[in-house]
Amino acid sequence: MNCNEATPLVTAFADGEIDRLRGYSIRKHLDGCADCKAKYEAVLALRERLRTEVPYFVAPPGLRARLGVLAEETSVAQRRVPQTSDRWRWLAGGAFAGSLATVLVWMLGTAVLQSRGNVDPGLEAVAAHSRATLGQHLIQVASADQHTVKPWLSSRLDYSPPVPDLASAGFPLLGGRLDYLDGHAVAVLVYGYRQHTIDVFVRPEPFHDASPAARSVRGFNVARAAGSGMDWLAVSDVNADVLGQFMQRLVGGSAPN
Amino acid sequence: MSEHRRFEDLVLPHLDAAYNLARWLARDTHDAEDVVQDACVRALKYVGSVHGGDARAWLLTIVRHAFYDWCRRNRPVEIARDDGSAIDAAVDHVSVGPEQAALRSSDSRTLAEAVAALPLAYREVLVLREMEELSYKDIARVLDIPVGTVMSRLARARGLLQRSPLLHAIAGRATGDGA
Repeated sequence: MNCNEATPLVTAFADGEIDRLRGYSIRKHLDGCADCKAKYEAVLALRERLRTEVPYFVAPPGLRARLGVLAEETSVAQRRVPQTSDRWRWLAGGAFAGSLATVLVWMLGTAVLQSRGNVDPGLEAVAAHSRATLGQHLIQVASADQHTVKPWLSSRLDYSPPVPDLASAGFPLLGGRLDYLDGHAVAVLVYGYRQHTIDVFVRPEPFHDASPAARSVRGFNVARAAGSGMDWLAVSDVNADVLGQFMQRLVGGSAPN
Repeated sequence: MSEHRRFEDLVLPHLDAAYNLARWLARDTHDAEDVVQDACVRALKYVGSVHGGDARAWLLTIVRHAFYDWCRRNRPVEIARDDGSAIDAAVDHVSVGPEQAALRSSDSRTLAEAVAALPLAYREVLVLREMEELSYKDIARVLDIPVGTVMSRLARARGLLQRSPLLHAIAGRATGDGA
């Protein structure tokens, strides 16, 4: 690859938009071309400065609360609508038939699920993560110190989860909590990444998940790995690449402690 | 699933992203809250039609529309000045640099101030890429422009920040270009 070919691609490469094969050629070109390399590094340098010097504004708690109320009120109002006018009664009838169909499909679906006899831990973990975020009880023991979080968790469970220190890799420990996954208490480690949080469900038993090691559920990325005698299931809104790196360090770098 | 549940599952997890975008577009805490609230009212209406995987980009699209509607009502001048297509046209004339002049005249002593001083069309693409880490494809969807335009605006936004004279403490290169 020469400069003419590489130049338009360098920025896209820095943005993670280039496939692996072309990425390889670009990387090779960058090693030999000071101009292109400077361009590439300028994008990364600016990104680093934006990350550290420019604030990410999180929603004020008051706004979050108001929106919760708003959603509730709207759904109550919507439920009342069909009774208000005779003209719409036929529509309400249709809605009833529709909901009956939904119930039937749901019952069928449930039956199928139960006949398979397994729940999807990935889905459950995402639901638990959302609940925790919404109820603002994401963290029950807030500490960046693994030696505080670990005993807190092990005193409440019948196992002692490893709590790797990944702060140097950009994933500081924020704390931990107890949660429930398919009917059992499970340890959750909460790590930070920039303004995001990563929930890590840890337990000795495998999560019985036939789904791929990494996937997306309702906009969250879910990744799963085994290591250090535990099964690890991570849920976060960070992008899949970052979550992949995180999992590698989490499972690879968790020295027995 | 009820609309309420869908709203809780699909919209609320991305509320920070929604607020951050609104805050950077409106550049004001109160106005950003108004914009997000309006966006959520709209999101509630259409939450039945969204797929889980696209929820964040979908919500950001709504936030952006809500912002532009709000802006048209409250700050029409800003839209006229920062109109994306006018800027894209200006970008082609190398000698003309209205946004560069805007950036120079503003008193941006910090990178955050320089980002806030970027014209809307560049500010939004930068926030979506560097803060929300959206892919080019998703940014194109949110902004309703072609991927090629995403790339050129992003390049321009970065160029403006990198060349912003007050920020360029390292080299005196930025002093050369006359307005």
